[in-house]
Formats: sequence, structure tokens, C-alpha cells
Amino acid sequence: MHAACPKEGYAPMTDTPFIEIEDLHFSRGEHDIFRGIDMRIPRGQVTAIMGPSGTGKTTLLKLIGGQLTPDRGRVLIDGQDVHRLSRKALFALRKRMGMLFQSGALFSDLNVFENVAFPLRVHTDLPEAMIRDLVLLKLQSVGLRGARALSPAELSGGMARRVALARAIALDPELVLFDEPFVGQDPISMGVLVQLIKRLSEALRLTSLVVSHDIKETLSIADYLYLIADGQVVAHGTPQTLDANQDPRVSQFIHGEPDGPVPFHYPADEFYRDMLGPARPQGAK
Amino acid sequence: MMPSLLNKSTAQVTRLGRKGCDTVESLGRAGAFLLQSSVGVPSREGFSLWLRQMHFVGVLSLAIVLVSGLFIGMVLALQGYTILVDFGAEQALGQMVALSLLRELAPVVAALLFAGRAGSALTAEIGLMKATEQLTSMEMIGVDPLKRVVAPRLWAGFVALPILTVGFSVVGIWGGYLVGVEWLGVFEGSYWSNMQASVAFASDVGNGMIKSLVFAVVVTWIAVFQGYDLVPTSEGISRATTRTVVYSSLAVLGLDFVLTAVMFGGL
Repeated sequence: MHAACPKEGYAPMTDTPFIEIEDLHFSRGEHDIFRGIDMRIPRGQVTAIMGPSGTGKTTLLKLIGGQLTPDRGRVLIDGQDVHRLSRKALFALRKRMGMLFQSGALFSDLNVFENVAFPLRVHTDLPEAMIRDLVLLKLQSVGLRGARALSPAELSGGMARRVALARAIALDPELVLFDEPFVGQDPISMGVLVQLIKRLSEALRLTSLVVSHDIKETLSIADYLYLIADGQVVAHGTPQTLDANQDPRVSQFIHGEPDGPVPFHYPADEFYRDMLGPARPQGAK
Repeated sequence: MMPSLLNKSTAQVTRLGRKGCDTVESLGRAGAFLLQSSVGVPSREGFSLWLRQMHFVGVLSLAIVLVSGLFIGMVLALQGYTILVDFGAEQALGQMVALSLLRELAPVVAALLFAGRAGSALTAEIGLMKATEQLTSMEMIGVDPLKRVVAPRLWAGFVALPILTVGFSVVGIWGGYLVGVEWLGVFEGSYWSNMQASVAFASDVGNGMIKSLVFAVVVTWIAVFQGYDLVPTSEGISRATTRTVVYSSLAVLGLDFVLTAVMFGGL
């Protein structure tokens, strides 16, 4: 359906999108990270943002969460411009979001139970008995009810990410942002996480935004995909359409080809000159 | 030759200017940080977080502060006695020990020890929370880390150091008594009565406490800001921890001179 993506070629959403990103520009120092990104993330579906390492996928999540401010353009969440909200309104909006961090980001001074209970304690006035029941339900849904008394230091990487997932859905958010959920996981943990994200998104009717470069796993759970490279959206579509896309940039990424539009070699002088030319100190120009 | 020299000078001036701008910007950030995190409505939950930090910052610093106070009081008495005895004025030992401690040594040394013991720990703890994305995740949960993490630590530091300074002075005076009276044989009555006659509550104890409060604000502010503002890598944490101790020590010693000049120097 989609080849290289012009700005007008939005995702074919029937409903009003939950997140709208319009003409987003962002740079760090001299380095342009985004040069006009447009996206529409539909409600109640799993949308994946993929792209090679270093393309700014995590930065995009931080822009959506309002932790970074764009140079130009805007991000609308449920109609609210994230970067024009007051600090109080932004924190109120964040109560409707959950985020799963790459490292889990569990609070090291609280045990598993207290980590999951944290959002409930700070944002609700529920009685202790109800908080206990809710936390145990969330932990049961990620299979870690038995680990409630452990401290974060006692958890494996996969377990920490599952606890973080339980914490992210503790307040039954409408939107969950997943930052590289599959990185560094063994095959079993990876399978568990894939199943969990898929199952929880369906069961809770979450709007899920998954940022990842793990192709197989992401294709298996995403309803819709955006591929970003060089600061722009290079393609978007359903997993099937992207798989069949003939654009060399898309094809190289989706099929994991080592060389192509994204070169294998870092830019350098010609090889023979480096080897046969006059000796120079390392790093000298 | 001339153009290259000119270029070099221009580059140096540019670098200097940029460094100046960075410093001013950093000071502005630190000021806004202090204001945002220390001002707020107290809550019951905030009180329990503060109490917990009082334990980490205050109670756990007690041992090092009190032991140091004891030794400094003992050394003061020993040194003071050897000088005073030459003039037959060893009866003034109590006065000398108390004034040195209350006006100067207790606020300064307690602040330096506090920077090394509690300040560096605060920087490393907050820095590690930043490096492991705990602060970011707190923000994403909708909780302001400035209120939840920073404010209790700041207020714990503001309160703990003046109390530690009082402890330092009391133990130091007792250390002076042990050496001066019990060991060197100064008359006990003159040790205490000279002290009572010469120490004024407002100008000596009060000024010492004001100094201690100023040092508490400065040291805790530096420590917490360095932790919050660091580059979240292991190297960044180590550098920020070092900066906390260096900046705090220099700020305490520099401010001590200014405050002493204002309080006791007749400025």
C-alpha cells in the first residue's frame, strides 16, 4: 500500500487518532534528529515505531511524553497540545499514560509490591485492602504475584521489565508507551513479553505505542507500523504491506540486510589511501 | 603570522565568553531548581519522606560529627593550655574553647564533614536515580521528582546540619573539659564560670547558628543540584560527587570569611 511516505500519506484510521504528531522538528546541537515527522496513532491499537539504532526512537517517546520540547511542530494527545500544557496539566495528562522503560526504571528503594502500588498510592485515595488487591491482580497478570516481596536488585532483567509493565498499567491508563521492550531479553523472556503486550493491549483496550528495532517480535504484535530513518518517516503501513515494500531503505531494514542505503562502513577516506599513504597518528585529519 | 595570532586570541575570548555564559546559565538553573523544589505546601506524606531523609542525612552523620567534635575540643584545650599557661591565664581556657567552637569551628567543620558524608551520598543517590531513569519514570507516572525526591532531601539537610552543629559544640566543650580540667588540672569552677561570663547567647551562639544554617542551605543545595543536573553515566556520577565536595568546601570556607567579617569584624 505504501511506498516511501510523503507527509500527506497518513495511516488509514477510521477513528480520531489518540496521538497526532504534526511537522515535528527536533535537534540536539548541530545534529537534526527529526526533520518534519507526521504520525497518527489510532486508539485501541498497537502501533510500532521502528528504525535503525540512533534514529531517535526513544527521543520521540520523550517528545510525546512532554519530557522534551520540539523546535517546531506539535504533539496532540487526545486533542491536547502536550507542549503547551502547564506543568500541572501535563502531570494530569501523564496519569492517563503508562511508560515501560528500557531499563525497567523500578524504584530501587521500594520492593516489587510497593513499586506497583506507587501510582495507586500517589494518585488515588483507595483503602489499603483495595490497593493490595489491585496490585496483586496486576502482578498476577504479568505472572509475578509470587515475587511481590523481592527487591528490584533481586530480579532478572526480564522480571524487572514485567514488574515495570505491571506498574505502567496500575492506573489502567489509556495509553502505554513501550521503549525497546525486547532489548537484551533471552528467548523465553522475549516470548513472555510479546504475549503480555499483545494480551494486555487487547484485554485493556490500550492504545499501545511500541518503539523497537526487533523486527520479528514487533511485526507479530503491531497493527500498524511507522519506519523512521534520517529524521523522517520513510514508510508506514500494516506489517504485511511493509513486508512487501520494495523501497530499498525499507527492504534493508525489514529483511536485516547488512549493506544498502544504510552503509556498512562509517564514512572514511578511501581504504587504499589509509593503508598505503604516509603514516599519520591515529585520528589525525 | 598576525592573522593566525588574531584568530587564536578571538577563539580564546570566544571560549571564555561561552564558559561565562554556561556558568551564568548553570547558576540560573540551580536557582530555579532551589525555588521549585523547596517551596511548597507541606503534606503528611512529605513529612514522612522528610523524616526518612533526616535519618539518612542527620542520624547517620552523627557518629562522624560527634567524634570529630570531641577530638577538636580536646586538641583546642591542649593547644590553648600550653599558650595560656605562659601568661598565667589558664583559667580562661573554658572561654577560649567555647568561643572558638561556637563562633567558628563547629559551624565550619561540621559543614565540611556534612559535605563529605551526607552531601556526596545525596549527589550519588540522586545521580544514580537519574542514570537508571527512576526520575524520568516518576515524571511519567505524574509525580514531580522535585517535590518527591529533591524537596525532602533539601529540607532534611537544612534542618540536620544546624542540629549536628549544636552536637559538635556540646561534645567539643566536653572534650575541652576532659583535657583541660580532668587531665591538665585547670580549676573546674573557672573553666565553667569564665565560659558562662564571656559567651553571649545572641552574638556567639546565635551567630554560630546563623552560619550553620547558611552552610546547611548551601551544602545541601550544591549536593542535590549536582545529583539532579549530572550527565547520567558512571563517569558523570563520579565527577558530580567530586564537584559536590569541592564546591561545598570552597563555598563554606569563603562564606565563613564573609559572615565572620559581617558578624564579628564590624562591617
